[in-house]
Amino acid sequence: MKKGLIITLPRHDDVTEYLSQFSKEIIEEANISDVPCKKLEDYDANRKNFEKVLEKTNYKLIVFNGHGTENSIGGYNDEPIIEEKVNEKILAERIVYARACDAACSLGMNSVKESNEGCFIGYELPFQFYCDKTWATNPLKDQVAPLFLNPSNVVAISILKGKIAREANDSSRKAILKNMRRVLRKSNADSLAIAEALWNNYEGQVLLGNENATL
Amino acid sequence: MREKNKEIKINDEMKELVIARIEAQVPSNLSLSIGSSGRMSKEEMLEHINKGDEIGNRIIESHIRFLRAQSTGEVTRALVSAE
Repeated sequence: MKKGLIITLPRHDDVTEYLSQFSKEIIEEANISDVPCKKLEDYDANRKNFEKVLEKTNYKLIVFNGHGTENSIGGYNDEPIIEEKVNEKILAERIVYARACDAACSLGMNSVKESNEGCFIGYELPFQFYCDKTWATNPLKDQVAPLFLNPSNVVAISILKGKIAREANDSSRKAILKNMRRVLRKSNADSLAIAEALWNNYEGQVLLGNENATL
Repeated sequence: MREKNKEIKINDEMKELVIARIEAQVPSNLSLSIGSSGRMSKEEMLEHINKGDEIGNRIIESHIRFLRAQSTGEVTRALVSAE
């Protein structure tokens, strides 16, 4: 297995557009850390292409952005890239971060079941984020979405910086709590709503498999 | 199957509580992304809850888990640990 990152960036709806835009920080860190990065953008974020790229590059770190279920992780147009009992075994021995709802419940568990080295970081609950509709066409100017998406970026960024999976997961969850503290201190009208959704991500984010996995 | 939600049996009181919270706490410029239904406005969130569909139930579950964690002190302990 080689040191490198494969990241899916489907942009077929507002949600995947936000996830993809905020992934720029992860890609920048890969460049800074001199880690080769293969981006699967838009239509290229499909199962056939992913499997082909994975086989060809054999990169160890995989970041999925997309809609998820307990048994699948979607790509472009929500077509599954990974499906339980179909191809989840190709994730074994790798470091996987799935920014997708629910995928840690069953798919994540099974992907690391027979793995000694690999791990899966994802969510046992629906990943949530609020965004400001004013910036729907220019997500990076949104001041609300980064409260959710920056802490989630910490997982992949920490791994790229050489941290072990446990440290990456802990740092990310701690960043969620820091943002909760920040919004609650402000006591704005939306503070409790934002804190509630941040708590959901904090509670739902889990690390499965080898806690000491590194890139 | 969503272990963390297993113990939550949604009833009318919970539904009313969450509707009141959303009406009071979610400004109209915010939209929520949860599940695969895309971004939802405050009005759409309330519509899902009133319909009692999957998305609506997940919104309710999320609020109830937060309220329970607040009442048991779990939220406070976590926030203190992040200082």
